[in-house]
Amino acid sequence: MIEKALKGSRNYWLWIGLLLLCIGAGFSAFSRQMWEGLTVTGMGRDVSWGLYIAQFTFFVGVAASAVMVVIPYYLHNQKAFAKTVIVGEFMAVAATLMCMLFILADMGRPDRVLNVLLYPSPHAMVFWDVMVLNGYLVINLVSAWTVLGAERKGVSPPAWVKPIIYLSIPWAFSIHTVTAFLYAGLPGRHLWLTAVLAPRFLASAFAAGTSLLILVTLILKKTTGFDAGNEARQKLAVLATYAGVANFFMIGTEFFTAFYSNVPAHMHGLQYLFFGLEGKSALVPWMWLSLLLGFGALAILFNPKLRQTSKWLVAACVGMVSSIWIDKGVGLVLGGFVPSPLEEITEYGVTLTELTVTLGIWAVGILVLTLLLKVAVTVKKEQEA
Amino acid sequence: MNEDRRSFIKKAGIGILAGIGSAAGLFPALSLEKTVLPAWDEKPEPGKHRWGMLIDTRKCAGNCKECVAACHFTHNVPDFGNRKDEVKWIWKSSYEHVFPTASQQFQSPGVTERPYVALCNHCAEPPCTKACPTEATFRRWDGIVSMDYHRCIGCRFCMAACPYGSRSFNWRDPREGIKLASTEYPTRMQGVVEKCNFCSERLVKGLDPACVEACPEQALVFGDLNDPGSEIRKLLESTETMQRKPELGTKPSVFYII
Amino acid sequence: MKRRRATLTKKLIMTAAAVLILVLAGVYAFRHEESQAEKIAAPAAAAVDSSACIGSKEYMRANHMRVLNEWRHSSVRDGNRVHVAPDGRKIEKSLNTCLNCHSSNRMFCFNCHMYANVKPNCWNCHISPMEAP
Repeated sequence: MIEKALKGSRNYWLWIGLLLLCIGAGFSAFSRQMWEGLTVTGMGRDVSWGLYIAQFTFFVGVAASAVMVVIPYYLHNQKAFAKTVIVGEFMAVAATLMCMLFILADMGRPDRVLNVLLYPSPHAMVFWDVMVLNGYLVINLVSAWTVLGAERKGVSPPAWVKPIIYLSIPWAFSIHTVTAFLYAGLPGRHLWLTAVLAPRFLASAFAAGTSLLILVTLILKKTTGFDAGNEARQKLAVLATYAGVANFFMIGTEFFTAFYSNVPAHMHGLQYLFFGLEGKSALVPWMWLSLLLGFGALAILFNPKLRQTSKWLVAACVGMVSSIWIDKGVGLVLGGFVPSPLEEITEYGVTLTELTVTLGIWAVGILVLTLLLKVAVTVKKEQEA
Repeated sequence: MNEDRRSFIKKAGIGILAGIGSAAGLFPALSLEKTVLPAWDEKPEPGKHRWGMLIDTRKCAGNCKECVAACHFTHNVPDFGNRKDEVKWIWKSSYEHVFPTASQQFQSPGVTERPYVALCNHCAEPPCTKACPTEATFRRWDGIVSMDYHRCIGCRFCMAACPYGSRSFNWRDPREGIKLASTEYPTRMQGVVEKCNFCSERLVKGLDPACVEACPEQALVFGDLNDPGSEIRKLLESTETMQRKPELGTKPSVFYII
Repeated sequence: MKRRRATLTKKLIMTAAAVLILVLAGVYAFRHEESQAEKIAAPAAAAVDSSACIGSKEYMRANHMRVLNEWRHSSVRDGNRVHVAPDGRKIEKSLNTCLNCHSSNRMFCFNCHMYANVKPNCWNCHISPMEAP
């Protein structure tokens, strides 16, 4: 089936070429990082995680959100999602792959990554995260590929694939819960030390992930003519709306607990992110922009008339994805480090090398998604013809 | 890398001769650390000892940095002169940073203006070892929270988990930052986390940690917390002491007399 | 049918020719290499009393890395720092134990490692005999 990704228009190959170029740039930046050490990034003794881990967290959410199409289609037999399911699953595959690459890029000694498996440590959340992420990648790739292969032959998918698809549902929740547990169990990092972190991760994932999925289906419609259907998009938009509301509600409860209780350590992280602390306020405009974009997106999505116009839907989805990208893909991780457990305030500034590596990983993800969707769209179109 | 290695060789003091293969045989013996049999003979009994430290902050003198210098020289801790790449095993800081959750209001100036020595607490319930996905950092049989530098993958989870800022990452090749090298102890390599080891390499020889030995005021007392007859236990029983952030339940093995 | 067989034969001949060219090119390339390559002298063994070692020369040559690995693991992680040699001698499990004994030849490690083109990363952290004063 993969051969279908090898035949494409001029634009298709130009797009692949551009992505390969970005991957090359990212790889050269990564090799510089390997040679000179992580000193070439903006991370340091006080802010010891940065863009890589933050992006990892965001993309675990994108991966988990595939469940938002799998549940209605396979559990509730909502036929409207028939064409979106494959897009969601392939997006999950690409996002999971990006997560792994971000982890590798963040490691001081990626050459020793197999030590995680050689010395399995069930007390460490990272160990479980590695397990569930790899499992999720395999589950989604196998189930999506098998169903698509059956569709191409015009037969119904083999019976064994059904349990795997059902398994992917709790598994999607597990990847983001375990990712939240990476943070939520650390003493002395008060922004993260909250039981609501895992539910909030899931809510923001389902808001941003489904919005991204809507955007991908719209891009597919424009570039390939493959339309996943407006009904599916509208239903996804409703899901994104309520997930977004849940997310902002939980951010609100964080504010209440921190500021009403008036416990300094609980307030510090939020203070730094939204108001600045001791004159350090690099992230303040970003965090407010995130809120603004998020609430703006919700306002559009709550209005059925606006939501049904393609342009407004695109605007709302872009707003929602950007909002949560800033909140989760930048703010959440940095806010855990500022102030440090010793109440020292050191700010983080991203470097060009770091950005280039990130760009490269994005390009890998988009390339994988492009190739997988190319296969899917070709098969679907052949079936229709 | 080669350039750095060469300059490190120079710092270690043999210069040109080292490069010449034919020089082999000219040196009767290497002045590497001499190995001796450890104080104990076979596999130690886990949990029998628990090493701990008591810091009498009343004795600690303002500008003195003997403990820091001795530790960092002994263990080849690099100094890059900037905060971002900083590596430290032991350091001096202010009351509000070392005890951020302790009472700050209306403290006597004597307490708030005094310097405080901070180092790894060698917790009995260490959050860092729990977070480590490879058991590269682990709590030893004698209570020391140790690092296996050969196994560390550099994920820095332990740094996020440590509530005391006791861990440092080698953001770059540490050998570039070692001005005066000690040949008695290895360096670390780029990409691994490091921290205070309670001088486990000196303990096997029956010596006190380097910081304890170097302190001109004898403000640091080292001993076995599991031995009721030890000096440190007697001091802990007779004096009022405190630990850093006891509310987190990490059970630090480093105590302070304020 | 006939035509199909003809094309098949043609294809076979073409493939055989291609394989032949590849094989010839490979042989030529390696012959060239061989004649160009310098003969590397086998490293000279250090004149050290090997009876003092914890194992025979042959055993150590083949297994020193395993010994060091095992030593590292048991001394760092289990606190078992004493190696008891077959003859009952007790030795501290330390890389320095080896180096201090083999101190008459600074190139002791490097000679063989260079010859065998292996690059162990011991010296990223440990002070190598080449660096020791």
